[in-house]
Amino acid sequence: MDWGRLKFFLGEVFTNFTRNAAMQVTAIGTVAVTIVMLGAFLYVRDTVASVGNGLLSKIEIAVYLTDATTDAQSKTIAAKLAADPRIASVEYVPKRDGLRRLQEVVGKDFDTSLLTTNPLPNAFHVRVHRPDQVAVVAAHIDRFAGVAKTDYAADTVDKLLRVVDVLARIGLVMIGLLVFTAAIIIANTIRLTVFARRREIAIMQLVGATNMYIRMPFIAEGMLAGVLGAGLALGVLYIARLEVIPKLAQMLAFVPFQVNEGMLALECLAVGAAVGMISAWLSVGRYLRA
Amino acid sequence: MISLRGVSLTYANGVRALDDVDLEIAKGAFVFLVGHSGTGKSSLLKLLYREMTPSAGNVFVDGIRVDKLTRRKVAQLRRNIGVVFQDFKLLAHKTVWENVAFALQVTGARTKDVMRQVPRALDMVGLAHKSRMFPSELSGGEQQRCAIARALVNNPKLLLCDEPTGNLDPSNTTEIMELLQRINLKGTTVVVATHNQAVVDRMRRRVVRLEDGRILHDDERGFYFGGLGQTQVLSG
Repeated sequence: MDWGRLKFFLGEVFTNFTRNAAMQVTAIGTVAVTIVMLGAFLYVRDTVASVGNGLLSKIEIAVYLTDATTDAQSKTIAAKLAADPRIASVEYVPKRDGLRRLQEVVGKDFDTSLLTTNPLPNAFHVRVHRPDQVAVVAAHIDRFAGVAKTDYAADTVDKLLRVVDVLARIGLVMIGLLVFTAAIIIANTIRLTVFARRREIAIMQLVGATNMYIRMPFIAEGMLAGVLGAGLALGVLYIARLEVIPKLAQMLAFVPFQVNEGMLALECLAVGAAVGMISAWLSVGRYLRA
Repeated sequence: MISLRGVSLTYANGVRALDDVDLEIAKGAFVFLVGHSGTGKSSLLKLLYREMTPSAGNVFVDGIRVDKLTRRKVAQLRRNIGVVFQDFKLLAHKTVWENVAFALQVTGARTKDVMRQVPRALDMVGLAHKSRMFPSELSGGEQQRCAIARALVNNPKLLLCDEPTGNLDPSNTTEIMELLQRINLKGTTVVVATHNQAVVDRMRRRVVRLEDGRILHDDERGFYFGGLGQTQVLSG
């Protein structure tokens, strides 16, 4: 490792960064505002997704067997279900257990001892790994010999899946739009710093620096501005979280606030760095080609 | 070292800067390029370090066809060509040492080489004792010597000077021209574009005179206005 070379590079980045401090503040501020909005949205998205997934993971497919189904058939079905990689768990519920569970759910108002025969069929209760596979797996099981019908909370699954999906899409579009807007503003800022340094660039080109080498300090600078902006935004978000989330959690007691905050912070930092780098690349590139 | 074959250069606005120029310059030569402003001297130099490309013809520098180079190769070419300008083009916020080192550092040179070559270049131009000063603390002649040190620090085979003494008084001018001669004696090919008649007539080196984009005359040990020297001044 050639420390002198690294020192020169970092020195160039640092002096240029501080020399254009006012413009860098603009860039950092733009990134910060963008990422505060982005971070808040991502928090909501992740919360909704975790609620949705929490509910979905509890969805069961009830597989009812016909009364004529033999023990052998029922064993075959059990084996097939156990072998399916999409299925997380299988539970056999014979008809008397089914009746007892029903009794537990409906309570004392419904006296099952009045029934002369048990009207419930034998059944399997199946849980799948991925909520979006509920419908497919249910339809698949429906065709097994000895299965009367399958049942699950179709409406709930569909709605939840749709909500989670829509939010994910909106999230992507939002990230795209915010990155685009921020990149334009930052590209303009960096264009000014490029212009302020046109003498250096001219000399670099004259003495045979490659375009890649000329670009690098600007890109490092853009990245620095982006990461600093993102850091600032994360600070703001953190304070907001301390203030807002406990109150929300109180109001919405049933909502599990289980967001992977470390991941979220990394996402924000990555977006900030990417915005800075992309805009630097663009604004220097335009200058080098001219 | 330099070979121009049928080179023409037309600007986007239709002005013809060079018109079918043929020129050969040998390795180790010292050549003055003279003529009025706007006769294509600077343009000719720019063709050599690939700041411009010709509209027609071929440009060779050290056996390389310069007008055909890719962008990446241009950077490589320029490490073998030093260029000096009338306005020095020094970086005001860097010291003499840093200005010279900059030329090496931005090409990714190793620190070891920077530490070895910068003092050598500063010694060559006699600025070693002022290496910690900023350009604003130097005289015009010293600033130009700093610029020359920067041009030389890569050990180029070719040194191009575009009006190197245009901003200097006569004593500084003499100093710079003597420096250029010394550099030439060490084997570097030197091409100087100038309209300083006194310098050209005193030094009696090869003189190539451009007028309206064509070579008007080309004399070994020549004068600014041609073979007969001062007498031409009166009639020219």
